Amino acid sequence: MFDFQKLDKIIHEKWRLAIMALLASRRSWSFQELKAELKMSDGNLITHMRTLHKQGLVSVTKEFRGRPQTTYALTAKGRSAFREHINALEEIVKEWKS
Amino acid sequence: MDQERSKAEEDLRVIRSLMERAALYRAISAPAALVAGCLSIFAAAAIYLNDQTSVNRPLQGRAFAAIWLIVLVIAVATNAFFIWREAKKDGRPFISSGMKLSLRAIAPNLLIPAGVTLWFLVSGYKGAAEQELVVAWIAFYGLALLSTGLFAPRSLVCLGWAFFLTALALPALKNVAGDLPANLPNIAMGITFGLYHLIYAVCAWPRRRADEIEQFAVE
Repeated sequence: MFDFQKLDKIIHEKWRLAIMALLASRRSWSFQELKAELKMSDGNLITHMRTLHKQGLVSVTKEFRGRPQTTYALTAKGRSAFREHINALEEIVKEWKS
Repeated sequence: MDQERSKAEEDLRVIRSLMERAALYRAISAPAALVAGCLSIFAAAAIYLNDQTSVNRPLQGRAFAAIWLIVLVIAVATNAFFIWREAKKDGRPFISSGMKLSLRAIAPNLLIPAGVTLWFLVSGYKGAAEQELVVAWIAFYGLALLSTGLFAPRSLVCLGWAFFLTALALPALKNVAGDLPANLPNIAMGITFGLYHLIYAVCAWPRRRADEIEQFAVE
């Protein structure tokens, strides 16, 4: 029987899972890029990014390139948590099939 | 358990689609392909009609190359405009990591056609080498598109193969069929840069689709 405690509650939320998936696909994403890709409101995205940052899953870089720009990337902890979460999801699917 | 399993499957599917989509970069926008296709067909038709009428002598040599280079400049500018507009609409940078990656992949493939064009404009035109010029343009344009294959959508890769195979077929056609029409280079340009781009534009045109993420996130 699969141990559902293995699922990371922070990542398991759907928007945060989508954010983590995008961050895992590239080295870094700007706030505007994430917002456009996920079609999220500023407030909603900021809230989820704060949660992920507070948990140490995401790093935040603030720069000034003509205008202020915030970019996000997965930390080593975030990458490993995301990998483990995917493994857990695969385990659920496999267990049911077997 | 059944519910958890289907949710896990759905989560994995969306993660996969998000990661794949994020890694894709379309170096040629569909509207730009439409403009380039129409422009190329117009240019090819104009050259063809000019060749058919006895008023002007057949368009060859530098004039032929110059017309197609003008079409190239307009098509590249149009593509840049549409990519810039799309980036602005989405709040992304115009020179994105995808664009840099594409340019790095495409650039080496443009060196040989640039060299052949230069040779043609300096001395090659005297030997009526339009076919060699056109084969180099079509083949290396196809190779440039194929070089973006790792991060390009399938339609762009298919376009690359269509160009590349056509370029391979042109000299073979000459060997097999013998005498071919003198305006074959112009016809080939019309078919490849005109018709192929139009087919690509139709296949790649952005369609309204249910937003997966929205469905994924709102339950």
